[in-house]
Amino acid sequence: MLAGMEDLLLLPGEVVKDMAKDISYICPFTGAIRGSFTVTNYRLYFKSLERDHRLILDAPLGIISRIEKIGIPAGRGENSYGIEIVCKDIRNMRFAYKLDGRTRKTVFESLTGYAFPLNHELPLFAFEYKETFSENGWKVYDPIAEYKRQGVPNESWRISRLNDRYELCDSYPATLVVPVTMSDEELRRVAAFRAKDRIPVLSWIHPETQATIVRCSQPMPGVNGKRCKEDEKYLQSIMDANAQSHKIFIFDARPSANALASKSKGGGFESEDAYQNAELVFLEIHNIHVMRESLRKLKEISYPIIQESHWLSNLESTHWLEHIKCILSSAVRIADKVESGKTSVVVHCSDGWDRTTQLTSLAMIMLDGYYRTIRGFEVLVEKEWLSFGHKFFLRIGHGNRNHPDADRSPVFLQFIDCVWQMTIQFPHAFEFNEHFLLTILDHLYSCLFGTFLCDSEQQRVEETVPQETVSLWSYINSQIEDFANPFFMDYSDHILYPVTSIRHLQLWAAYYIRWNPRTKPQDTISGRCKDLLAKRAELQKKLEELQQEMSNRSLSSERGGSVASVTQTVV
Amino acid sequence: MFSIKQPKPTFRSYLLPPQHEDKLSPEMKIKKLKPVLLRGEIVVNEVNFVRKCIASDTSLYDLWGKLTCTNFKLSFITDTPMPFQKFHYKNHLLGEHDVPLTCIEQIVVVNDTKRKQKILSFNKKLKFNPTELIIYCKDFRILRFRFDESGPESAKKVCLALAHYSQPTDLQLLFAFEYVAKLYHQQGDRINGIDPGGGDTGPKTPLFETFSDWDREIKRTGASEWRVCSVNEGYMISKSLPEYFVVPSSLADTDLKQYSYSFFGRRMPLWCWNHSNGSALVRMSCIKDLLQQRKIDQRICGGITRSHPLRSDVYKCDLDHGLPTLQDIQAAFTKLKQLCVNEPFDETEERWFSSLENTRWLEYIRVFLKQAVELVYVMDSKRLSVVIQEEEGRDLSCLVASLVQLMLDPYFRTIVGFQSLIQKEWVMAGYQFLDRCNHLRKPEKECPLFVLFLDCVWQLLEQYPAAFQFTETYLTVLHDSTCISLFGTFLFNSPHQRVQQSTEFAIGKNIQLGDEKGLKFPPVWNWSLQFSLKDRALFNNPLYIGKSVPSIQNGLTKSFKRTKKNYSSTLRGMPPALKNGIITQPALMPRRNSLILRLRPELVHQAPEIQNNGLQLYLKNFFSKPVDLHGVILPRLNGPHVKLWKLLYLRWIPETQISHGGFITAFHKISLLADEIEMLQTSLRQYRSFPLSQATSPDGDQSRMFFRADDLQSSCESVDFLSSSFPFSPVGNLCRRSILGTPLSKFLNGAKIWLSTETLATED
Repeated sequence: MLAGMEDLLLLPGEVVKDMAKDISYICPFTGAIRGSFTVTNYRLYFKSLERDHRLILDAPLGIISRIEKIGIPAGRGENSYGIEIVCKDIRNMRFAYKLDGRTRKTVFESLTGYAFPLNHELPLFAFEYKETFSENGWKVYDPIAEYKRQGVPNESWRISRLNDRYELCDSYPATLVVPVTMSDEELRRVAAFRAKDRIPVLSWIHPETQATIVRCSQPMPGVNGKRCKEDEKYLQSIMDANAQSHKIFIFDARPSANALASKSKGGGFESEDAYQNAELVFLEIHNIHVMRESLRKLKEISYPIIQESHWLSNLESTHWLEHIKCILSSAVRIADKVESGKTSVVVHCSDGWDRTTQLTSLAMIMLDGYYRTIRGFEVLVEKEWLSFGHKFFLRIGHGNRNHPDADRSPVFLQFIDCVWQMTIQFPHAFEFNEHFLLTILDHLYSCLFGTFLCDSEQQRVEETVPQETVSLWSYINSQIEDFANPFFMDYSDHILYPVTSIRHLQLWAAYYIRWNPRTKPQDTISGRCKDLLAKRAELQKKLEELQQEMSNRSLSSERGGSVASVTQTVV
Repeated sequence: MFSIKQPKPTFRSYLLPPQHEDKLSPEMKIKKLKPVLLRGEIVVNEVNFVRKCIASDTSLYDLWGKLTCTNFKLSFITDTPMPFQKFHYKNHLLGEHDVPLTCIEQIVVVNDTKRKQKILSFNKKLKFNPTELIIYCKDFRILRFRFDESGPESAKKVCLALAHYSQPTDLQLLFAFEYVAKLYHQQGDRINGIDPGGGDTGPKTPLFETFSDWDREIKRTGASEWRVCSVNEGYMISKSLPEYFVVPSSLADTDLKQYSYSFFGRRMPLWCWNHSNGSALVRMSCIKDLLQQRKIDQRICGGITRSHPLRSDVYKCDLDHGLPTLQDIQAAFTKLKQLCVNEPFDETEERWFSSLENTRWLEYIRVFLKQAVELVYVMDSKRLSVVIQEEEGRDLSCLVASLVQLMLDPYFRTIVGFQSLIQKEWVMAGYQFLDRCNHLRKPEKECPLFVLFLDCVWQLLEQYPAAFQFTETYLTVLHDSTCISLFGTFLFNSPHQRVQQSTEFAIGKNIQLGDEKGLKFPPVWNWSLQFSLKDRALFNNPLYIGKSVPSIQNGLTKSFKRTKKNYSSTLRGMPPALKNGIITQPALMPRRNSLILRLRPELVHQAPEIQNNGLQLYLKNFFSKPVDLHGVILPRLNGPHVKLWKLLYLRWIPETQISHGGFITAFHKISLLADEIEMLQTSLRQYRSFPLSQATSPDGDQSRMFFRADDLQSSCESVDFLSSSFPFSPVGNLCRRSILGTPLSKFLNGAKIWLSTETLATED
């Protein structure tokens, strides 16, 4: 093995592709550090050779968004000639060569090749990763079982196989739940009237009131106000399926101006003339381009330097938390309509795969405690995000060097951020911890697991992703204790309404500014809680041993009994 | 149903059940209601059939009752239980709807029909009958009462009485005097039943009123070259210094007496604390006598140097320059209050962060924490004694000196230690609580420096949740206690003022003082005056690391060793028992640092770069290692790390209350765990020592948690009433409304929004 990578433990299927010594990592916090630089088909690995600066950088190539050359070989000044790596996870990395006439060519080429395999006819690493885990995460989500858990099919809703071959809608899953009153032929007509054929389908049904959350894409009335009687019947059927209410709410996630403008492109929204008993609400959430720009600004103020004096106004100017607030409060409105109003809701945006997904999944977390467990959350991501065609491949840009791609956007990151905000407000209501959310985000980019590859269920089937790659849930579920929240109390029958006032929203420092060594907390409450749990277990064991010892001395059994009640655990 | 817009609704139709014979009984009931009075408390005025507004958007839940003004409080009494309200703690001194007069910040009266409004202040006339009374409190509450059904004259009288009694012209008119006089009269002798020690059962808080308290502190910190000085006995030298304080052993009383003339307020150097490495923390006022300045400065510094084991030079820290002034701090706090409480909630959402930044409150917190960190570095790493200097040495010095000690000495992070720190650096050092807390409602000298201190402590607690024995509830309750004029702790500008004023008062009231120097007022540390044992458990932090370590309180010599142990980095991670057995300390044999030894005080100031690099290195080193909570703790001061203390500032705001949520739910779980562990340990001990006896639970133990593991049923249910405001409840305590169509914030707009006493234009 090459010097400088002794600590590098390769994953099964991982191969060292290139290596360079005497490269400096220009750390924005401590300055230049000399060390060795290794590229594998999965990661870049830098290890310092300096004794006072012990540092290892170990990052999956999947996080790389752009690689740029800086300086020229004849350039002046130390550490000015090298490469700059822009990452998707809110950091940049800079490496410099010594000015001794060598070029950066080979390492740079292999780095570019394996960071952007799709531009170089190379496979994504997930297809080469050969690890086995005790559990198969691809089996976490079974749509039939999940709908059964919700009580579906029932007298109003049926499971449709119409999309079995993805012929009705190629971005939808094979299993759909639709009203029993809608025939297959009618569904086809509805598909023709909805953008990208994404017809209204059931996401969640209230176990008591039968109020439902239904998702779809925008209708296509266009400028002429075209109507579709099957679509109108469909929404009426959704309302009829819920005896509790004589109304239905349509939540259009877009700003009203954008919804109006989309008419000129054939799209639009449900007019209240055409849809009786329906009330349309615009939620004013901005589109993917606005969100991408907001995150760019957030990175600007949080990496690498955090300005002390104007931190809050800088944060405000990114509008990041304002967008989070808007998404969260919209989800609260939806959840409240379903829970308190006992009214069914239809949620859509334009195509129904970005904002719609954020809203339905967040509302479901608020309404259904199952989705706050580790497995339930995995099911939620598999169902609402993956199976319903959130375009992970396009939004993340896996293995693709097209950094300025306008399709990229942090939609899923926003969703996880919203979930984190909820875990802060309800520290006891979630089975998973912060590490769980961070792990999901890290592997959103890493391309180590197959979970977030492709844009739809159809594509995943075509590329045999479940057969050839490992699921992220395999990894997580095989060591589930690492991801468990020590404060969790079974609280599943409670509805969580987070306060969406900006006063309670925080920047998720453990994610957005985690690369800054000066922001790491010295002590955490959850860590303390784990210590206490361990201590309790230890004491319980000691006490049991003592009791054992005493009963061995054949003491009366009542005494043991009284102590046992003291050791009773509280969950 | 009632609503504000219906001008003349009938009282009967709202409250009364349909049966006719009951018609009069609720009225009679209200008339018969009596406020609970303390000793010496008298009712000044009262008015019946008052409506207390509960929600700002509806009158549906309003309460009917009697509004009373006493010489101690505003009291609203009702026999209607509050809807969806569960009080989580009870103050023995105050009812659910009561406000101490010293907590009132501003009184606004309104007449809807005449479209008039007025900020009511002392001696102001009121030419209209109020239909509504709005009380702004120093603890960020806003209370609203409506007089639609009450007698207009008595309503007016109560409002005027409140204005009059909440703004006394003289210190001796504060209720505490009346209260204490009654105690003396009842007891008849000078022991008089007031616990002088400042504590309940359990360890007593040293008040630093006596020679021996100072002497114990010297021994506790190992300050062997320092002595207690009695030259100020009877306040012969300075009226703002305590009678006893600590000075370098090498300085003689006669010299000190002579030097004292050159200092502002004759406040000569005052020792605060000693680091185990020998460096001392000293505070003093500026030398006003410019001719003598150099000479006296050299003598004093020479004395401090001689008291240092390394004879190293003194590091001077000037608090008069480069820091926010008292006016700045006051202005920031006013803005903060305005933003948190008074501005329309929704309108401030969009610009919340920049508005918060613009108040500069968080910036000032950062500035003072940073200042303290710098001094910690000088003492801990450079091993220099520090002298903090301020013109009078009675304001910022209190803040900075306390923060330095809090970061360096874990003793001050216990409840008793923290209380002794406040006694030592604030109460005894002459912090002018009377003026700064503005008990007499004379705003010129008001300054929320003590709130700023509590907020700084909260920031440390937030970053080191296991390093403090107390909780943020404790800090909040302590803050609220500064607004209750009953405790001697926060009543006076100096210990001398207590003696002088209360002696004068006692003579007037014919109270025999005997040998006593003035009347003894109950200290705030006597928490049993306010809370039950069960409620006091809310103060205990279940995460506190000291919990399992044997108690070393009360400042005995034994704890001197402990202090040193705490600084030893080599012993980290060892079991406490082993640590206690070790005496040799690397900290006792400091490395020779030639650079520092050569530095003269002036040089230190001239070489900020060297010092700065050292500080940066010190911080980097500190933050790269796991923290030892028994040792130094330093705050992170980056933008995201200095936060708004939501419990204190937002607890009364209904819109920000997270029901069934908030940090308290995690706290609840930890409390159960901590309590269980304690019970297990007790059982184990009992098994080991008396293996044949029944294991019993350790009941009545003060350290137990508010939430208890053996309370299984209630612990499951309790989550249902927890909220982010716990144990406080915003219900009925913040009722903003627009006055005659103008939002309150605009109505009260002006430079000193809550402090303005100007009459508004509408009165003819």
